[in-house]
Amino acid sequence: MSITLILFWFLSVLALFSAAMVVASKNPVYSVLWLILVFFAISGHYLLLNAQFLAIVNIIVYAGAIMVLFLFVIMLMNLNKSNEPKRNKWLNLAGVLAGGCLLLVLVAALKNAETKATLAETGTGNIGLIENLGKALFTDYVVPFEISSVLFLSAMVGAVVLGKKESSPDTAGQSGKSSEK
Amino acid sequence: MISLTGLNLILPQLIIALAAIIVMLSIAVKRCHRFTNLFTLLSFAAAAISVLYIPRGSFGVSSLFVVDGFGKFFTVLIACAGFVITLMSYHYLNAREKRNEEYYILLLLSSLGALTMVISNHFVSFFLSLEVLSVSLYALIGYLKEEPAGIESGIKYLVLAAVSSSFLLFGIALIYMQTGHLDLSGIAAGLSSSGEFSGVFIAGLAMVIVGIGFKMALVPFHLWTPDIYAGASAPVSAFVATVSKGAVFAFLLRLFYSTGGLENKNVWTVFTIIAVASMLFGNWLALRQQNIKRLLAYSSIGHLGYLMVAFLAITDRGMQAATFYLVVYFTGMLAAFGTVIYMSNKKGEALYIDDYRGLFWKKPWLAAIFTTVMLSLAGIPLTAGFLGKLYLLTAGTEVGIWLLVIVLVVSSGIGLFYYLRVVAVMFAGKNENEASSEPVIGKIFPHGLVLTLLFLLLLWFGVYPSSLLEIIQQIASVIR
Repeated sequence: MSITLILFWFLSVLALFSAAMVVASKNPVYSVLWLILVFFAISGHYLLLNAQFLAIVNIIVYAGAIMVLFLFVIMLMNLNKSNEPKRNKWLNLAGVLAGGCLLLVLVAALKNAETKATLAETGTGNIGLIENLGKALFTDYVVPFEISSVLFLSAMVGAVVLGKKESSPDTAGQSGKSSEK
Repeated sequence: MISLTGLNLILPQLIIALAAIIVMLSIAVKRCHRFTNLFTLLSFAAAAISVLYIPRGSFGVSSLFVVDGFGKFFTVLIACAGFVITLMSYHYLNAREKRNEEYYILLLLSSLGALTMVISNHFVSFFLSLEVLSVSLYALIGYLKEEPAGIESGIKYLVLAAVSSSFLLFGIALIYMQTGHLDLSGIAAGLSSSGEFSGVFIAGLAMVIVGIGFKMALVPFHLWTPDIYAGASAPVSAFVATVSKGAVFAFLLRLFYSTGGLENKNVWTVFTIIAVASMLFGNWLALRQQNIKRLLAYSSIGHLGYLMVAFLAITDRGMQAATFYLVVYFTGMLAAFGTVIYMSNKKGEALYIDDYRGLFWKKPWLAAIFTTVMLSLAGIPLTAGFLGKLYLLTAGTEVGIWLLVIVLVVSSGIGLFYYLRVVAVMFAGKNENEASSEPVIGKIFPHGLVLTLLFLLLLWFGVYPSSLLEIIQQIASVIR
């Protein structure tokens, strides 16, 4: 058993276990902490695939920036067990049934999947290196790359529009005047 | 590397993207609703006209987009719908909201998402377009801050659309796992080499259908529609009903026709069930509605079900019928929501059917337009809706999908009832309780004018459809 394989199994088990714990944890703060662990495990997978850049970005952006934000929001919202709304028992049952059906279908589908076409190139692929990634992004994928920047623009504008405080009466009067002109 | 000719091919998309940025910068300099509105109108018009400068034929743009007749047709359709919605929004926003300019940025950006979606030839570009479309829509739906219902439906849409997007992504991942490709031609090649559909591929396709079905509000995934239509402001509801659904339908056609996904019996059966359920439930649930926007929501579910009949015919005729019907549906829905906007006042929208009681005696012309729209949506002869349905039926009978054809006829019969109910109310006696002392928002210009134009279009397509059909026949065979 090579060291790569051992690492792969370790990271996979870690990722799956932490992902399950994200859902299972009662306390949302614990969920977020488990989620950070998931991201670290996935970054480890990226490293095994020789995609150092993706691994670093994943840790910096997701595990670092986004999860800290998440943590802050959850702590500010002060979610306790007491103010959690009571769920309907039948709704729970329906959710379990629906999710279980989906799981069953996916497991059945994946059981018969051919694995020969899906071998990963551990350590040999060079798609994830920063040079190749940059080349791909700015040649073949330049239009979608620009579209994703538009996506951020629309998210930003949307957030500002929804989040902005109602303007005070005097500024509202001004904007009203300017629209009348 | 993308060359200048490549840029030329995506000219309409570039114009809209640029317009959104210019509008944003102009707001930073000075707020002027009239200028912003005019500029948005001009950019939609320019996007529609710029299609003429795209050379004929089918061109790939960096393997992610394909610009062909089909894509160009939908580009024009979406740009025109955007134009009409912008025109209708002006007085509405003036009356109901103080800060209007950002609305146009969001409108332009979500139209951009729709415009890139109709030329997508790759799951990456499709998903990105879908997100651009929906992220701007979240904010658009909750735009009117004084309406708690708007914010509520915005959050509902946000949560549900995010869930459906995650389904879509998982499905795309499974398809990628099986075929090793994300572009549609690659998926088709991967499928034809392996011969039979594997379980993973079908599971992936099913999850993609969940994502797409949600956006098109087909029946098992339709629960959000009435709430969002009723909660959002009327111009945004019109946008959700037309542009958002039409663009996803265009991609659906491209996806299943170019990969041959429908040749699998299971996939076909799933779509048949979805179509039958959409037609029946959409029309059935509309029967008891008192709120006109909810009524239109359920009716749009039914209409998307009708479209699926032509989609399932898998013939050139079916595609032409679907495209024709979509144009008719766009025109009808825009005019219907336009009437709702026209009748609204500063306090609120004319939501209930009773608000239209005796409309004929007060505003005969508006009542005539609304009657024609309702008749067209119901599919009465001499209107475009009738011919559209006729083409759907011939497309269905040609290949002998009798179950779908029969359900289409039956559900149209059910649908007739609630459309005629609205018409009957308009011609009923005068409204006794003249509670709405507020004047209506609609003005002769531009609102009455654009409604009249849509009304004339409905009659024109209904009496003389060959003008439109000739164009559609040219583009419909290209997609294969």
